[in-house]
Amino acid sequence: MKSSSTGKKRDRGPYLYLAPVLIGLTVFTAGPVIASFLLSFTRWEISTTPVWSGLENYRALFASELFWQVLGNTGYYVLLYVPFSVLTSLGLALLLNQKLRGLAFFRTIFFLPVVTSMVAAALIWGWLYNSDIGLLNYLLSKIGIVGPRWLEDPRWAMPSLVILSVWKNAGYNMMIFLAGLSSISPEFYEAARLDGANAWQRFRSVTLPLLSPVLFFVVIVTTISAFQVFEQTYVLTRGGPANSTLTLSYYIWQTAFQFFNMGGASSMAYVLFILLIVLTFLQFQVRKRWVYEQ
Amino acid sequence: MGIRTVKAEASWKTIVKYGVMCAIALLMLIPFLWMISTSLKSPDALLSMPPEFLPLAPRFSNYTDVFSRMPIGLFFFNSLKISVLGTIGELMAASLAAYAFARMQFKGKNILYGLFLATMMVPFQITMIPVFMIIKWLGWMDSQASLIIPHFFGGAFASAAFGIFLLRQFFESIPKELEDASRIDGAGRFRFLIKVILPLSKPALGVLGLFVFMGIWNDLLSPVLFLSSEDKMPLPFGLATLQAAQHTNRYDLLMAGTLVSIIPIILFYILVQRRVSDAFLRTGIKG
Repeated sequence: MKSSSTGKKRDRGPYLYLAPVLIGLTVFTAGPVIASFLLSFTRWEISTTPVWSGLENYRALFASELFWQVLGNTGYYVLLYVPFSVLTSLGLALLLNQKLRGLAFFRTIFFLPVVTSMVAAALIWGWLYNSDIGLLNYLLSKIGIVGPRWLEDPRWAMPSLVILSVWKNAGYNMMIFLAGLSSISPEFYEAARLDGANAWQRFRSVTLPLLSPVLFFVVIVTTISAFQVFEQTYVLTRGGPANSTLTLSYYIWQTAFQFFNMGGASSMAYVLFILLIVLTFLQFQVRKRWVYEQ
Repeated sequence: MGIRTVKAEASWKTIVKYGVMCAIALLMLIPFLWMISTSLKSPDALLSMPPEFLPLAPRFSNYTDVFSRMPIGLFFFNSLKISVLGTIGELMAASLAAYAFARMQFKGKNILYGLFLATMMVPFQITMIPVFMIIKWLGWMDSQASLIIPHFFGGAFASAAFGIFLLRQFFESIPKELEDASRIDGAGRFRFLIKVILPLSKPALGVLGLFVFMGIWNDLLSPVLFLSSEDKMPLPFGLATLQAAQHTNRYDLLMAGTLVSIIPIILFYILVQRRVSDAFLRTGIKG
Protein backbone atom coordinates (compact mmCIF):
# COMPACT_ATOMS: atom_id res chain seq x y z
CA MET A 1 0.00 0.00 0.00
CA LYS A 2 2.69 2.41 1.02
CA SER A 3 4.69 2.03 -2.14
CA SER A 4 1.64 2.55 -4.32
CA SER A 5 0.66 5.76 -2.56
CA THR A 6 4.09 7.29 -3.07
CA GLY A 7 4.25 5.81 -6.58
CA LYS A 8 1.03 7.58 -7.55
CA LYS A 9 2.49 11.02 -7.04
CA ARG A 10 5.46 10.75 -9.28
CA ASP A 11 5.29 7.68 -11.44
CA ARG A 12 8.67 7.18 -13.05
CA GLY A 13 7.49 3.88 -14.51
CA PRO A 14 6.49 5.10 -17.96
CA TYR A 15 9.85 6.76 -18.56
CA LEU A 16 11.56 3.53 -17.63
CA TYR A 17 9.61 1.73 -20.35
CA LEU A 18 10.43 4.49 -22.77
CA ALA A 19 14.09 4.69 -21.79
CA PRO A 20 15.57 2.52 -24.57
CA VAL A 21 13.79 4.31 -27.42
CA LEU A 22 14.31 7.71 -25.81
CA ILE A 23 18.04 7.08 -25.64
CA GLY A 24 17.91 5.95 -29.27
CA LEU A 25 15.90 8.98 -30.31
CA THR A 26 18.35 11.33 -28.63
CA VAL A 27 21.58 9.65 -29.69
CA PHE A 28 20.69 8.54 -33.21
CA THR A 29 18.12 11.08 -34.39
CA ALA A 30 17.59 14.29 -32.43
CA GLY A 31 21.24 14.83 -31.54
CA PRO A 32 22.48 14.11 -35.07
CA VAL A 33 19.85 16.40 -36.63
CA ILE A 34 21.23 19.28 -34.58
CA ALA A 35 24.85 18.22 -34.98
CA SER A 36 24.71 18.05 -38.75
CA PHE A 37 23.03 21.45 -38.85
CA LEU A 38 26.00 22.92 -37.00
CA LEU A 39 28.47 20.90 -39.06
CA SER A 40 27.02 22.33 -42.22
CA PHE A 41 28.61 25.65 -41.23
CA THR A 42 32.07 24.19 -40.76
CA ARG A 43 35.04 23.13 -42.80
CA TRP A 44 35.81 19.59 -41.72
CA GLU A 45 37.79 16.85 -43.43
CA ILE A 46 37.11 14.04 -40.93
CA SER A 47 40.73 13.83 -39.70
CA THR A 48 40.94 17.55 -38.87
CA THR A 49 38.84 19.33 -36.27
CA PRO A 50 35.82 21.21 -37.60
CA VAL A 51 36.47 24.93 -38.21
CA TRP A 52 33.59 27.41 -38.31
CA SER A 53 33.25 28.75 -41.82
CA GLY A 54 29.83 30.39 -41.81
CA LEU A 55 27.90 30.09 -45.03
CA GLU A 56 30.92 29.07 -47.09
CA ASN A 57 29.65 25.51 -47.71
CA TYR A 58 26.31 26.74 -48.94
CA ARG A 59 27.92 29.37 -51.13
CA ALA A 60 30.22 26.75 -52.63
CA LEU A 61 27.28 24.45 -53.22
CA PHE A 62 25.18 26.86 -55.14
CA ALA A 63 28.18 28.00 -57.16
CA SER A 64 28.96 24.44 -58.16
CA GLU A 65 27.66 23.37 -61.53
CA LEU A 66 27.78 19.72 -60.53
CA PHE A 67 25.51 20.35 -57.55
CA TRP A 68 22.87 21.90 -59.81
CA GLN A 69 23.16 18.91 -62.11
CA VAL A 70 22.72 16.62 -59.12
CA LEU A 71 19.61 18.54 -58.07
CA GLY A 72 18.31 18.27 -61.61
CA ASN A 73 18.99 14.53 -61.72
CA THR A 74 17.19 14.05 -58.43
CA GLY A 75 14.20 16.06 -59.63
CA TYR A 76 14.15 14.07 -62.86
CA TYR A 77 14.11 10.80 -60.93
CA VAL A 78 11.34 12.01 -58.63
CA LEU A 79 9.21 13.30 -61.50
CA LEU A 80 9.53 10.04 -63.40
CA TYR A 81 9.27 7.72 -60.45
CA VAL A 82 6.44 9.17 -58.36
CA PRO A 83 3.65 9.24 -61.00
CA PHE A 84 4.77 6.00 -62.65
CA SER A 85 4.98 4.17 -59.35
CA VAL A 86 1.78 5.56 -57.79
CA LEU A 87 -0.24 4.78 -60.92
CA THR A 88 1.19 1.26 -61.12
CA SER A 89 0.30 0.61 -57.48
CA LEU A 90 -3.18 2.03 -57.95
CA GLY A 91 -3.70 -0.09 -61.05
CA LEU A 92 -2.62 -3.26 -59.26
CA ALA A 93 -4.85 -2.43 -56.29
CA LEU A 94 -7.89 -1.82 -58.51
CA LEU A 95 -7.22 -5.10 -60.26
CA LEU A 96 -7.13 -6.95 -56.94
CA ASN A 97 -10.12 -5.13 -55.49
CA GLN A 98 -12.66 -7.47 -57.01
CA LYS A 99 -14.71 -10.40 -55.95
CA LEU A 100 -12.70 -13.19 -57.49
CA ARG A 101 -11.18 -16.36 -56.16
CA GLY A 102 -7.46 -16.72 -55.72
CA LEU A 103 -6.74 -13.03 -55.30
CA ALA A 104 -4.55 -13.69 -52.26
CA PHE A 105 -2.25 -15.64 -54.54
CA PHE A 106 -1.82 -12.69 -56.92
CA ARG A 107 -1.44 -10.29 -54.03
CA THR A 108 1.41 -12.41 -52.70
CA ILE A 109 3.13 -12.39 -56.09
CA PHE A 110 2.77 -8.62 -56.53
CA PHE A 111 4.25 -8.14 -53.06
CA LEU A 112 7.26 -10.43 -53.57
CA PRO A 113 9.55 -7.71 -54.97
CA VAL A 114 8.83 -5.61 -51.87
CA VAL A 115 10.32 -8.17 -49.52
CA THR A 116 13.31 -8.69 -51.81
CA SER A 117 16.29 -6.50 -51.00
CA MET A 118 17.05 -3.60 -53.33
CA VAL A 119 20.53 -5.03 -53.76
CA ALA A 120 19.15 -8.36 -54.99
CA ALA A 121 16.64 -6.54 -57.22
CA ALA A 122 19.38 -4.32 -58.63
CA LEU A 123 21.67 -7.29 -59.33
CA ILE A 124 18.87 -9.11 -61.15
CA TRP A 125 17.89 -6.06 -63.18
CA GLY A 126 21.50 -5.23 -63.93
CA TRP A 127 21.67 -8.61 -65.64
CA LEU A 128 18.31 -8.11 -67.41
CA TYR A 129 19.57 -4.74 -68.66
CA ASN A 130 22.81 -6.15 -70.05
CA SER A 131 22.96 -4.53 -73.49
CA ASP A 132 24.56 -7.42 -75.35
CA ILE A 133 23.33 -10.64 -73.77
CA GLY A 134 20.53 -9.39 -71.52
CA LEU A 135 17.03 -10.78 -71.65
CA LEU A 136 15.36 -7.41 -72.08
CA ASN A 137 17.07 -6.45 -75.32
CA TYR A 138 16.57 -9.97 -76.64
CA LEU A 139 12.80 -9.73 -76.03
CA LEU A 140 12.73 -6.28 -77.59
CA SER A 141 14.59 -7.55 -80.65
CA LYS A 142 11.87 -10.19 -81.02
CA ILE A 143 9.32 -7.43 -81.60
CA GLY A 144 11.65 -5.55 -83.91
CA ILE A 145 13.04 -2.99 -81.50
CA VAL A 146 16.74 -2.40 -81.07
CA GLY A 147 17.01 -1.96 -77.33
CA PRO A 148 19.05 0.89 -75.87
CA ARG A 149 22.28 0.35 -73.96
CA TRP A 150 20.31 0.77 -70.77
CA LEU A 151 22.76 1.48 -67.96
CA GLU A 152 25.59 2.63 -70.21
CA ASP A 153 23.62 5.32 -72.02
CA PRO A 154 23.34 8.63 -70.12
CA ARG A 155 19.85 9.13 -71.56
CA TRP A 156 18.62 5.69 -70.51
CA ALA A 157 20.41 5.07 -67.21
CA MET A 158 17.98 7.06 -65.08
CA PRO A 159 14.81 5.63 -66.66
CA SER A 160 16.36 2.18 -66.13
CA LEU A 161 16.70 2.87 -62.41
CA VAL A 162 13.12 4.15 -62.35
CA ILE A 163 11.75 0.97 -63.94
CA LEU A 164 13.67 -1.17 -61.47
CA SER A 165 12.40 0.90 -58.53
CA VAL A 166 8.79 0.77 -59.71
CA TRP A 167 8.97 -3.01 -60.04
CA LYS A 168 10.58 -3.31 -56.62
CA ASN A 169 8.23 -0.99 -54.71
CA ALA A 170 4.84 -1.08 -56.46
CA GLY A 171 3.51 -3.82 -54.19
CA TYR A 172 3.92 -1.71 -51.08
CA ASN A 173 1.66 1.16 -52.09
CA MET A 174 -0.66 -1.39 -53.66
CA MET A 175 -1.33 -2.76 -50.17
CA ILE A 176 -2.07 0.71 -48.83
CA PHE A 177 -4.46 1.38 -51.73
CA LEU A 178 -6.14 -1.99 -51.17
CA ALA A 179 -6.73 -1.10 -47.53
CA GLY A 180 -8.19 2.23 -48.64
CA LEU A 181 -10.39 0.64 -51.28
CA SER A 182 -11.77 -1.93 -48.87
CA SER A 183 -13.03 0.84 -46.61
CA ILE A 184 -15.24 2.30 -49.36
CA SER A 185 -18.78 1.16 -48.71
CA PRO A 186 -20.24 -0.96 -51.55
CA GLU A 187 -23.46 1.05 -51.26
CA PHE A 188 -21.83 3.95 -53.10
CA TYR A 189 -21.11 1.69 -56.06
CA GLU A 190 -24.61 0.27 -56.07
CA ALA A 191 -26.09 3.75 -56.07
CA ALA A 192 -23.82 4.76 -58.95
CA ARG A 193 -24.74 1.61 -60.84
CA LEU A 194 -28.44 2.34 -60.43
CA ASP A 195 -27.77 5.77 -61.91
CA GLY A 196 -26.36 3.98 -64.93
CA ALA A 197 -22.73 4.92 -64.35
CA ASN A 198 -20.21 2.82 -66.28
CA ALA A 199 -16.96 1.51 -64.81
CA TRP A 200 -14.97 4.65 -65.65
CA GLN A 201 -17.67 6.95 -64.28
CA ARG A 202 -17.85 4.90 -61.10
CA PHE A 203 -14.08 5.23 -60.76
CA ARG A 204 -14.18 8.99 -61.40
CA SER A 205 -17.08 9.83 -59.14
CA VAL A 206 -16.88 7.25 -56.35
CA THR A 207 -13.47 5.59 -56.07
CA LEU A 208 -11.25 8.57 -56.76
CA PRO A 209 -12.84 11.08 -54.37
CA LEU A 210 -13.19 8.55 -51.57
CA LEU A 211 -9.68 7.30 -52.09
CA SER A 212 -8.15 10.76 -52.36
CA PRO A 213 -6.97 11.00 -48.72
CA VAL A 214 -5.08 7.73 -49.14
CA LEU A 215 -3.78 8.84 -52.52
CA PHE A 216 -2.52 12.02 -50.94
CA PHE A 217 -0.72 10.12 -48.19
CA VAL A 218 0.87 7.77 -50.73
CA VAL A 219 2.05 10.61 -52.97
CA ILE A 220 3.72 12.38 -50.02
CA VAL A 221 5.48 9.32 -48.65
CA THR A 222 6.55 8.17 -52.11
CA THR A 223 7.94 11.59 -52.93
CA ILE A 224 9.95 11.73 -49.72
CA SER A 225 11.38 8.27 -50.29
CA ALA A 226 12.12 9.03 -53.96
CA PHE A 227 14.39 11.90 -52.92
CA GLN A 228 16.46 9.42 -50.96
CA VAL A 229 17.22 7.00 -53.79
CA PHE A 230 20.60 5.48 -52.95
CA GLU A 231 20.96 1.73 -53.25
CA GLN A 232 20.07 1.43 -56.93
CA THR A 233 22.78 3.94 -57.76
CA TYR A 234 25.27 2.34 -55.39
CA VAL A 235 24.89 -1.12 -56.91
CA LEU A 236 24.34 -0.37 -60.58
CA THR A 237 25.75 2.94 -61.77
CA ARG A 238 27.76 4.67 -59.04
CA GLY A 239 26.34 7.92 -60.36
CA GLY A 240 27.44 7.31 -63.95
CA PRO A 241 27.51 7.29 -66.89
CA ALA A 242 28.61 10.92 -67.24
CA ASN A 243 27.03 11.75 -63.86
CA SER A 244 23.61 11.06 -65.35
CA THR A 245 22.41 9.10 -62.31
CA LEU A 246 24.27 11.08 -59.67
CA THR A 247 21.44 11.85 -57.27
CA LEU A 248 21.51 13.99 -54.16
CA SER A 249 21.53 11.08 -51.76
CA TYR A 250 24.38 9.27 -53.46
CA TYR A 251 26.33 12.49 -53.93
CA ILE A 252 26.03 13.31 -50.22
CA TRP A 253 27.35 9.87 -49.31
CA GLN A 254 30.21 10.26 -51.82
CA THR A 255 31.11 13.73 -50.60
CA ALA A 256 31.21 12.56 -46.99
CA PHE A 257 32.74 9.11 -47.21
CA GLN A 258 34.83 9.16 -50.36
CA PHE A 259 35.92 12.80 -50.56
CA PHE A 260 35.79 13.26 -46.75
CA ASN A 261 34.21 16.68 -47.04
CA MET A 262 31.95 16.32 -44.02
CA GLY A 263 30.96 19.98 -43.79
CA GLY A 264 30.00 20.14 -47.44
CA ALA A 265 28.03 16.91 -47.21
CA SER A 266 26.15 18.21 -44.16
CA SER A 267 25.15 21.37 -45.99
CA MET A 268 23.86 19.27 -48.91
CA ALA A 269 21.90 17.09 -46.51
CA TYR A 270 20.27 20.19 -45.11
CA VAL A 271 19.40 21.45 -48.57
CA LEU A 272 17.69 18.11 -49.11
CA PHE A 273 15.92 18.32 -45.76
CA ILE A 274 14.63 21.82 -46.40
CA LEU A 275 13.57 20.81 -49.89
CA LEU A 276 11.54 17.95 -48.44
CA ILE A 277 9.94 20.13 -45.80
CA VAL A 278 8.97 22.81 -48.32
CA LEU A 279 7.64 20.23 -50.74
CA THR A 280 5.56 18.49 -48.09
CA PHE A 281 4.23 21.85 -46.95
CA LEU A 282 3.24 22.72 -50.53
CA GLN A 283 1.56 19.37 -50.97
CA PHE A 284 -0.48 20.02 -47.86
CA GLN A 285 -1.45 23.41 -49.29
CA VAL A 286 -2.82 21.94 -52.50
CA ARG A 287 -4.40 19.12 -50.54
CA LYS A 288 -7.46 21.23 -49.82
CA ARG A 289 -8.12 21.53 -53.53
CA TRP A 290 -8.20 17.92 -54.53
CA VAL A 291 -8.67 15.81 -51.45
CA TYR A 292 -12.27 15.02 -50.75
CA GLU A 293 -13.10 15.29 -47.05
CA GLN A 294 -15.88 13.08 -45.83
CA MET B 1 -31.70 -10.60 -73.34
CA GLY B 2 -32.01 -13.63 -71.12
CA ILE B 3 -30.31 -14.53 -67.93
CA ARG B 4 -28.13 -16.94 -69.84
CA THR B 5 -26.47 -14.22 -71.96
CA VAL B 6 -25.87 -12.11 -68.89
CA LYS B 7 -24.21 -15.07 -67.24
CA ALA B 8 -22.15 -15.86 -70.31
CA GLU B 9 -21.00 -12.27 -70.46
CA ALA B 10 -20.11 -12.36 -66.78
CA SER B 11 -18.02 -15.51 -67.15
CA TRP B 12 -16.27 -14.04 -70.20
CA LYS B 13 -15.41 -11.03 -68.13
CA THR B 14 -14.06 -13.28 -65.38
CA ILE B 15 -11.83 -15.10 -67.84
CA VAL B 16 -10.50 -11.83 -69.20
CA LYS B 17 -9.83 -10.59 -65.67
CA TYR B 18 -7.91 -13.72 -64.79
CA GLY B 19 -6.04 -13.49 -68.07
CA VAL B 20 -4.95 -9.92 -67.34
CA MET B 21 -3.94 -10.84 -63.82
CA CYS B 22 -1.89 -13.82 -64.92
CA ALA B 23 -0.16 -11.69 -67.54
CA ILE B 24 0.79 -9.07 -64.96
CA ALA B 25 1.85 -11.72 -62.47
CA LEU B 26 4.12 -13.20 -65.12
CA LEU B 27 5.56 -9.75 -65.81
CA MET B 28 6.30 -9.32 -62.11
CA LEU B 29 7.83 -12.78 -61.91
CA ILE B 30 10.06 -12.61 -64.99
CA PRO B 31 13.02 -11.11 -63.11
CA PHE B 32 12.78 -13.89 -60.49
CA LEU B 33 12.37 -16.61 -63.08
CA TRP B 34 15.31 -15.25 -65.05
CA MET B 35 17.41 -15.22 -61.89
CA ILE B 36 16.58 -18.88 -61.22
CA SER B 37 17.20 -19.88 -64.81
CA THR B 38 20.53 -18.01 -64.90
CA SER B 39 21.63 -19.55 -61.63
CA LEU B 40 21.47 -22.99 -63.23
CA LYS B 41 23.47 -22.21 -66.36
CA SER B 42 27.03 -22.92 -67.32
CA PRO B 43 29.26 -19.91 -68.13
CA ASP B 44 28.96 -20.79 -71.82
CA ALA B 45 25.19 -21.00 -71.73
CA LEU B 46 25.12 -17.49 -70.25
CA LEU B 47 26.44 -16.09 -73.49
CA SER B 48 24.25 -18.02 -75.88
CA MET B 49 21.98 -16.03 -78.16
CA PRO B 50 19.06 -16.64 -78.33
CA PRO B 51 19.14 -17.23 -74.60
CA GLU B 52 18.05 -20.55 -73.13
CA PHE B 53 14.89 -19.85 -71.15
CA LEU B 54 15.20 -23.19 -69.43
CA PRO B 55 18.83 -24.24 -69.07
CA LEU B 56 19.35 -27.21 -71.40
CA ALA B 57 21.78 -28.78 -68.96
CA PRO B 58 20.95 -27.36 -65.53
CA ARG B 59 24.03 -27.07 -63.34
CA PHE B 60 22.98 -27.54 -59.77
CA SER B 61 26.64 -27.52 -58.86
CA ASN B 62 26.47 -23.72 -59.17
CA TYR B 63 24.85 -23.76 -55.77
CA THR B 64 27.70 -25.67 -54.18
CA ASP B 65 30.19 -23.52 -56.09
CA VAL B 66 28.66 -20.33 -54.78
CA PHE B 67 29.35 -21.54 -51.26
CA SER B 68 32.83 -22.87 -51.95
CA ARG B 69 34.13 -20.16 -54.30
CA MET B 70 32.41 -17.16 -52.78
CA PRO B 71 31.93 -16.47 -49.06
CA ILE B 72 28.15 -16.70 -49.43
CA GLY B 73 27.87 -19.09 -46.50
CA LEU B 74 29.67 -16.65 -44.25
CA PHE B 75 27.58 -13.70 -45.49
CA PHE B 76 24.48 -15.75 -44.86
CA PHE B 77 25.51 -16.54 -41.31
CA ASN B 78 26.38 -12.86 -40.68
CA SER B 79 23.00 -11.76 -42.03
CA LEU B 80 21.16 -14.28 -39.91
CA LYS B 81 23.00 -13.30 -36.75
CA ILE B 82 22.58 -9.56 -37.26
CA SER B 83 18.94 -9.81 -38.31
CA VAL B 84 17.81 -12.17 -35.55
CA LEU B 85 19.53 -10.26 -32.76
CA GLY B 86 18.54 -6.88 -34.17
CA THR B 87 14.91 -7.94 -34.55
CA ILE B 88 14.77 -9.21 -30.97
CA GLY B 89 16.22 -5.91 -29.74
CA GLU B 90 13.89 -3.74 -31.74
CA LEU B 91 10.79 -5.74 -30.82
CA MET B 92 11.71 -5.42 -27.14
CA ALA B 93 12.32 -1.68 -27.36
CA ALA B 94 9.14 -1.08 -29.37
CA SER B 95 6.97 -3.26 -27.11
CA LEU B 96 8.10 -1.47 -23.95
CA ALA B 97 7.54 1.96 -25.48
CA ALA B 98 4.22 1.05 -27.09
CA TYR B 99 3.02 -0.33 -23.75
CA ALA B 100 3.81 2.95 -22.04
CA PHE B 101 2.03 4.94 -24.75
CA ALA B 102 -0.97 2.61 -24.83
CA ARG B 103 -1.56 2.00 -21.15
CA MET B 104 0.06 4.69 -19.02
CA GLN B 105 -0.56 8.34 -18.33
CA PHE B 106 2.45 10.59 -17.99
CA LYS B 107 3.62 14.11 -18.60
CA GLY B 108 4.52 14.99 -22.17
CA LYS B 109 2.97 11.82 -23.59
CA ASN B 110 1.47 13.41 -26.68
CA ILE B 111 4.49 15.54 -27.43
CA LEU B 112 6.80 12.56 -27.15
CA TYR B 113 4.56 10.43 -29.33
CA GLY B 114 4.45 13.17 -31.94
CA LEU B 115 8.21 13.45 -31.77
CA PHE B 116 8.61 9.76 -32.51
CA LEU B 117 6.26 9.93 -35.46
CA ALA B 118 8.12 13.00 -36.72
CA THR B 119 11.39 11.06 -36.83
CA MET B 120 9.94 9.06 -39.70
CA MET B 121 10.20 12.24 -41.78
CA VAL B 122 13.92 12.73 -41.16
CA PRO B 123 15.94 11.57 -44.16
CA PHE B 124 18.92 9.37 -43.31
CA GLN B 125 21.30 11.76 -45.07
CA ILE B 126 20.79 14.26 -42.26
CA THR B 127 21.82 11.94 -39.45
CA MET B 128 24.31 9.82 -41.38
CA ILE B 129 27.51 11.73 -40.56
CA PRO B 130 26.90 12.29 -36.82
CA VAL B 131 25.73 8.68 -36.41
CA PHE B 132 28.92 7.56 -38.15
CA MET B 133 30.95 9.61 -35.65
CA ILE B 134 29.00 8.19 -32.70
CA ILE B 135 29.55 4.61 -33.87
CA LYS B 136 33.23 5.40 -34.29
CA TRP B 137 33.41 6.98 -30.84
CA LEU B 138 31.73 3.92 -29.34
CA GLY B 139 34.44 1.79 -30.90
CA TRP B 140 32.01 -0.20 -33.03
CA MET B 141 33.58 0.61 -36.38
CA ASP B 142 34.04 -2.52 -38.50
CA SER B 143 32.27 -4.56 -35.87
CA GLN B 144 28.85 -6.14 -36.14
CA ALA B 145 27.95 -4.46 -32.84
CA SER B 146 27.30 -1.36 -34.98
CA LEU B 147 24.56 -3.23 -36.80
CA ILE B 148 23.02 -4.98 -33.79
CA ILE B 149 23.16 -2.90 -30.63
CA PRO B 150 21.44 0.26 -31.99
CA HIS B 151 18.32 -1.86 -32.60
CA PHE B 152 17.95 -2.39 -28.85
CA PHE B 153 17.39 1.38 -28.80
CA GLY B 154 15.11 1.49 -31.83
CA GLY B 155 17.72 1.42 -34.60
CA ALA B 156 20.37 3.81 -35.89
CA PHE B 157 18.42 5.09 -38.91
CA ALA B 158 14.83 4.37 -38.02
CA SER B 159 13.76 5.12 -34.50
CA ALA B 160 11.25 2.43 -33.65
CA ALA B 161 8.46 4.83 -34.65
CA PHE B 162 6.65 2.48 -37.00
CA GLY B 163 6.77 -0.35 -34.49
CA ILE B 164 5.59 1.82 -31.63
CA PHE B 165 2.74 3.06 -33.82
CA LEU B 166 1.67 -0.44 -34.87
CA LEU B 167 1.93 -2.02 -31.43
CA ARG B 168 0.29 0.88 -29.62
CA GLN B 169 -2.83 0.44 -31.73
CA PHE B 170 -2.84 -3.27 -31.08
CA PHE B 171 -2.24 -2.93 -27.34
CA GLU B 172 -5.05 -0.41 -27.05
CA SER B 173 -7.47 -2.87 -28.59
CA ILE B 174 -6.88 -5.31 -25.71
CA PRO B 175 -9.72 -4.92 -23.18
CA LYS B 176 -8.87 -2.83 -20.16
CA GLU B 177 -10.77 -5.21 -17.87
CA LEU B 178 -8.03 -7.79 -18.31
CA GLU B 179 -5.58 -5.40 -16.75
CA ASP B 180 -7.83 -4.56 -13.83
CA ALA B 181 -8.36 -8.26 -13.20
CA SER B 182 -4.67 -9.00 -13.13
CA ARG B 183 -4.05 -5.97 -10.90
CA ILE B 184 -6.31 -7.54 -8.32
CA ASP B 185 -4.16 -10.65 -8.54
CA GLY B 186 -1.33 -8.40 -7.54
CA ALA B 187 0.53 -8.71 -10.80
CA GLY B 188 2.67 -5.69 -11.68
CA ARG B 189 2.61 -3.80 -14.93
CA PHE B 190 5.66 -5.52 -16.32
CA ARG B 191 4.27 -8.95 -15.53
CA PHE B 192 1.03 -8.00 -17.24
CA LEU B 193 2.92 -6.98 -20.35
CA ILE B 194 4.85 -10.24 -20.45
CA LYS B 195 2.07 -12.60 -19.41
CA VAL B 196 -0.99 -11.09 -21.06
CA ILE B 197 -0.35 -8.33 -23.58
CA LEU B 198 2.52 -9.86 -25.54
CA PRO B 199 0.99 -13.34 -25.93
CA LEU B 200 -2.24 -11.72 -27.14
CA SER B 201 -0.29 -9.57 -29.59
CA LYS B 202 1.36 -12.38 -31.52
CA PRO B 203 -0.24 -11.36 -34.84
CA ALA B 204 1.04 -7.79 -34.54
CA LEU B 205 4.45 -8.93 -33.32
CA GLY B 206 4.66 -11.34 -36.25
CA VAL B 207 4.04 -8.62 -38.82
CA LEU B 208 6.32 -6.15 -37.09
CA GLY B 209 8.90 -8.89 -36.79
CA LEU B 210 8.72 -9.43 -40.54
CA PHE B 211 9.15 -5.74 -41.32
CA VAL B 212 12.00 -5.26 -38.86
CA PHE B 213 13.75 -8.46 -39.92
CA MET B 214 13.29 -7.48 -43.56
CA GLY B 215 14.67 -4.00 -42.91
CA ILE B 216 17.81 -5.38 -41.29
CA TRP B 217 18.26 -8.35 -43.64
CA ASN B 218 17.94 -6.12 -46.72
CA ASP B 219 19.82 -3.09 -45.40
CA LEU B 220 22.74 -1.82 -47.39
CA LEU B 221 23.40 1.60 -45.89
CA SER B 222 24.52 0.70 -42.36
CA PRO B 223 26.97 -2.00 -43.46
CA VAL B 224 28.37 0.33 -46.14
CA LEU B 225 28.92 3.01 -43.51
CA PHE B 226 30.24 0.89 -40.65
CA LEU B 227 31.90 -2.22 -42.06
CA SER B 228 35.00 -2.73 -44.14
CA SER B 229 36.14 -6.34 -43.60
CA GLU B 230 34.61 -8.81 -45.99
CA ASP B 231 34.28 -11.53 -43.34
CA LYS B 232 31.85 -9.40 -41.34
CA MET B 233 29.56 -8.41 -44.17
CA PRO B 234 25.91 -9.39 -44.39
CA LEU B 235 24.51 -10.63 -47.71
CA PRO B 236 23.46 -7.45 -49.58
CA PHE B 237 26.73 -5.63 -48.93
CA GLY B 238 28.67 -8.83 -49.57
CA LEU B 239 26.95 -9.45 -52.91
CA ALA B 240 27.35 -5.85 -54.00
CA THR B 241 31.03 -5.97 -53.06
CA LEU B 242 31.61 -9.23 -54.92
CA GLN B 243 29.93 -7.88 -58.00
CA ALA B 244 31.96 -4.67 -57.91
CA ALA B 245 35.23 -6.44 -57.14
CA GLN B 246 35.29 -8.96 -59.94
CA HIS B 247 33.52 -7.00 -62.69
CA THR B 248 31.82 -10.23 -63.01
CA ASN B 249 30.71 -12.14 -66.02
CA ARG B 250 29.82 -15.00 -63.73
CA TYR B 251 26.18 -14.07 -63.57
CA ASP B 252 25.42 -17.73 -62.97
CA LEU B 253 27.10 -17.65 -59.56
CA LEU B 254 25.95 -14.13 -58.77
CA MET B 255 22.32 -15.07 -59.44
CA ALA B 256 22.68 -18.23 -57.34
CA GLY B 257 24.00 -16.09 -54.48
CA THR B 258 21.20 -13.58 -54.98
CA LEU B 259 18.60 -16.34 -54.80
CA VAL B 260 20.17 -17.67 -51.61
CA SER B 261 19.96 -14.15 -50.16
CA ILE B 262 16.23 -13.72 -50.76
CA ILE B 263 14.94 -17.18 -49.87
CA PRO B 264 14.75 -16.69 -46.07
CA ILE B 265 12.88 -13.42 -46.33
CA ILE B 266 10.40 -14.83 -48.84
CA LEU B 267 9.74 -17.82 -46.57
CA PHE B 268 9.21 -15.48 -43.62
CA TYR B 269 6.80 -13.40 -45.70
CA ILE B 270 4.79 -16.38 -46.88
CA LEU B 271 4.54 -17.55 -43.27
CA VAL B 272 2.92 -14.32 -42.06
CA GLN B 273 1.48 -12.96 -45.31
CA ARG B 274 -2.15 -13.13 -44.20
CA ARG B 275 -1.34 -10.93 -41.26
CA VAL B 276 0.57 -8.51 -43.43
CA SER B 277 -2.59 -7.50 -45.28
CA ASP B 278 -4.41 -7.24 -41.96
CA ALA B 279 -1.73 -4.91 -40.66
CA PHE B 280 -2.14 -2.62 -43.67
CA LEU B 281 -5.87 -2.52 -42.95
CA ARG B 282 -5.41 -2.05 -39.25
CA THR B 283 -2.94 0.82 -39.35
CA GLY B 284 -5.74 2.56 -41.25
CA ILE B 285 -3.77 5.31 -42.89
CA LYS B 286 -5.74 8.50 -42.95
CA GLY B 287 -4.46 11.34 -45.08
